[in-house]
Amino acid sequence: MSDFKSGFFVGGESCNGRVLVVDDEPDIRKVVRMTLQKAGYDVLEAENGEKAIETINYGENRLLLDVIICDIRMPKVNGIEAIAYFRQNYPRVPLIVLTGFPDTDMATALLRQGVVDYLVKPVEGEKLKASVARAMEQRELAHL
Amino acid sequence: MTIISPTMSHPQAENQGIEPAPASPPMRVAIVGAGRGGMALLDVLHQISRIQIVGITDQNPSAPGLTRAQELHVPVYDRVTDLITHQGLNLVIDVTGDPAMESVLREEVPAGADVVNGQTARLLWVLVQHESTLQTELLHAEKLAGIGSFAAGIAHDMNNPLQLILGLAENLTDETDLEAVHLQAHDIIEAVKRTTAICRDLTSYSRRASLRQDCLIGVGGKLDEALKIARYAVALQDIEIRKLYQPDVVVKGNPDELLHVFVNLITNAVQAMDHHGTLTLETHAMADATQIRVSDTGSGIAPELLGRIFEPFFTTKPPGKGTGLGLYNIKNVIHHMNGTIEVDSQIGRGSTFTLTFPGESGAGERATQS
Repeated sequence: MSDFKSGFFVGGESCNGRVLVVDDEPDIRKVVRMTLQKAGYDVLEAENGEKAIETINYGENRLLLDVIICDIRMPKVNGIEAIAYFRQNYPRVPLIVLTGFPDTDMATALLRQGVVDYLVKPVEGEKLKASVARAMEQRELAHL
Repeated sequence: MTIISPTMSHPQAENQGIEPAPASPPMRVAIVGAGRGGMALLDVLHQISRIQIVGITDQNPSAPGLTRAQELHVPVYDRVTDLITHQGLNLVIDVTGDPAMESVLREEVPAGADVVNGQTARLLWVLVQHESTLQTELLHAEKLAGIGSFAAGIAHDMNNPLQLILGLAENLTDETDLEAVHLQAHDIIEAVKRTTAICRDLTSYSRRASLRQDCLIGVGGKLDEALKIARYAVALQDIEIRKLYQPDVVVKGNPDELLHVFVNLITNAVQAMDHHGTLTLETHAMADATQIRVSDTGSGIAPELLGRIFEPFFTTKPPGKGTGLGLYNIKNVIHHMNGTIEVDSQIGRGSTFTLTFPGESGAGERATQS
């Protein structure tokens, strides 16, 4: 299995989509990356909201980015603020929230803000892949 | 007793038109009998500023109350007649239950001092025990109420390693590279250990404070343990934590209760900072005292509220966010350890809680921590 983890997405049509995973836990980023790479996605990682914004703005990433998966409870620009930033600045990029603490009120509020899915850890690989696939369909529609 | 820093004024009493009560001399009390009853009386009465315990005595030199009296710097008398003829004595409490002692006291206690013995002394002891039990139950109830606020932190910290375990296990179902299998199996084992450690910390914290004897506690280690627990209640990621620990600073007390004191102070400090700011933890060993300081750079406490923060059920937090018992309970624990707690606070700058305990010789005497 590849351990591909450069700071920018690979261009061209060589993958099923390009995903940015934002979580302060390296283990989470690792396992999400493993699962999605196996399913043919190109995956970049960021450890907090600030780094996520840096990564998106690096090189051509902004143009190539297809889906963002983001935790909520993170240091330095926490998830809620980052999500609001992403929705405002990259409105066409679907956002999936992956959180360790289920909160129905928060989920409702986020879904109303346009987040496409709210997943609670630990999430099965199949559910994660299905969620990303749905997000990719939305992305396709956004391109039209 | 709460000692408020002299830099803060107290306009509250004057504003309410209440005249502060004229200071009257404390009631001077002697305790005859230093068994369980005498020791319980000593513990509770010693905390009351309007009572001064002039001395305690017991025919048995190894009575537990005599040791406790020495810890509290209350004079111990070998002979009951030396104690009860003390100048200015107001009250003698005889908990021996010995008719012979009753006779002695009847003859020897000078005029002007009252004597309490027999069933009256027994009633006093029962009341003191009840008060002591109530305080213990209140502390435990408040601790359990606080555990609910840990839910978010617990879920986060346990679901993360569970996600790793799940993801790796799913991958292992079709992994054919043996080296990768070994590595991922190892990662799963480590993730399970992390989860077990979390459970262990939480069950240890939530159990009733143990009844074991007081021992010497390494303060720096206990503060670090409290930080680990406090993480479940409040997010510490954006808090700068400064530790200024002198080496080998110890206090004598119950380790579970001291942990609860520190968890409380740290949690309050972080909440006051709204999760951004600097938390400073200091320990100092001075010639005859040990000091611990917990400081934050949060919103500060209004001067008119400073005098009330240690009252039971007083809270400035929104409903459901605080029981109002935290500072009340920790004040009781600190007094039981013969210590004091002071608060210094400025609106917009932050607060400092200073705990002062009698000095203990540290290195080499520290009890093993479980």
